[in-house]
Amino acid sequence: MSGHLSSREISEWASGTRPPEAENHLHKCGECREELIRLHGALSDFRDSLRNWSAAESPAPRPIWRTESPHRTHRLRWALVAMAMLVLLAIPVYRARERPRPVDTSAEDTVLLEQIDANVSRTVPATMEPLTGLVSWSSTSPAASGKSLPKR
Amino acid sequence: MGPLAASGFLTAFASDAVELDDFDAVVRLHWPAVFRFALASVRDRDAAETLTQDCFLHAWRGRGKFRAESTVKTWIMRIAVNLVRDHARNRRLQFWKRATAGALDIQTAGERLADERISSEARIIREERIRAVWNVSGSLPEKQRTAFLLRFVEDMELLEIAAAMGLREGTVKVHLFRAVQAVRERLGGAQ
Repeated sequence: MSGHLSSREISEWASGTRPPEAENHLHKCGECREELIRLHGALSDFRDSLRNWSAAESPAPRPIWRTESPHRTHRLRWALVAMAMLVLLAIPVYRARERPRPVDTSAEDTVLLEQIDANVSRTVPATMEPLTGLVSWSSTSPAASGKSLPKR
Repeated sequence: MGPLAASGFLTAFASDAVELDDFDAVVRLHWPAVFRFALASVRDRDAAETLTQDCFLHAWRGRGKFRAESTVKTWIMRIAVNLVRDHARNRRLQFWKRATAGALDIQTAGERLADERISSEARIIREERIRAVWNVSGSLPEKQRTAFLLRFVEDMELLEIAAAMGLREGTVKVHLFRAVQAVRERLGGAQ
């Protein structure tokens, strides 16, 4: 290698690419070595200042992970699943209970039919029934026998 | 027994899996790195705190899926990288990012590095360099910035960064190279 390391070779060396030729050159060339030492110094100062600064700014860790126990999370998950299942099962039961039951009207129907039968079987309407006591509808009645009704 | 197991590489991963049993200890150990990465990425203290809390909540919920294919740190940083990326993509939060962009400045951090043994002039130069790197890292594309922060702030190896970002090692090298070039240009070292 003649001359000095190129700018690219110095950056490559600092980045971790270190071919043997460059290493050999750095053993011999104080100027290139100085360049790398200067760069290394700037990067070290940067690292140290950032570390100090960060340490001063860093808050204490808040252990929020402690509040999240995996066992508790699993238990909660299973409880939610069980609750969902219960709700799903309860819905049809609730709906079945809420549905209006058919009312047993057979007794009322029977009474109604008996009343209808009684009305149909009447010879006179119910409102005229009191008159039947006054007038005889038998064949011996004056009208039927051709006799006139007595004059008032 | 393979060379990896012999070197203790696999043993380290196995102990990481056991390490997850004491989650509070995991949080104590990795909280600073996650918060630092989030803070440097989103540059908003409250958002960084929220992202860090989210990161450990995700880790807590997903700890059963941890297969020890990487270290716990890499696994947690991968969660953090994803959360920060999602945060950056959230357009609603972009408004707040813009609104608070000027709120955080690393200058105070540079002042904390005050070393009595160096002159005030040297201190000013150092603070300017820190500010320059800070400004450049803020202007980098997301993947370059992430690779840059994980490498030069969190001291992660290339393979760890690749695992955390879900990229190949070669791709990480490319992102790092571009980030370093940008930093060097800003510092006046790259022609």
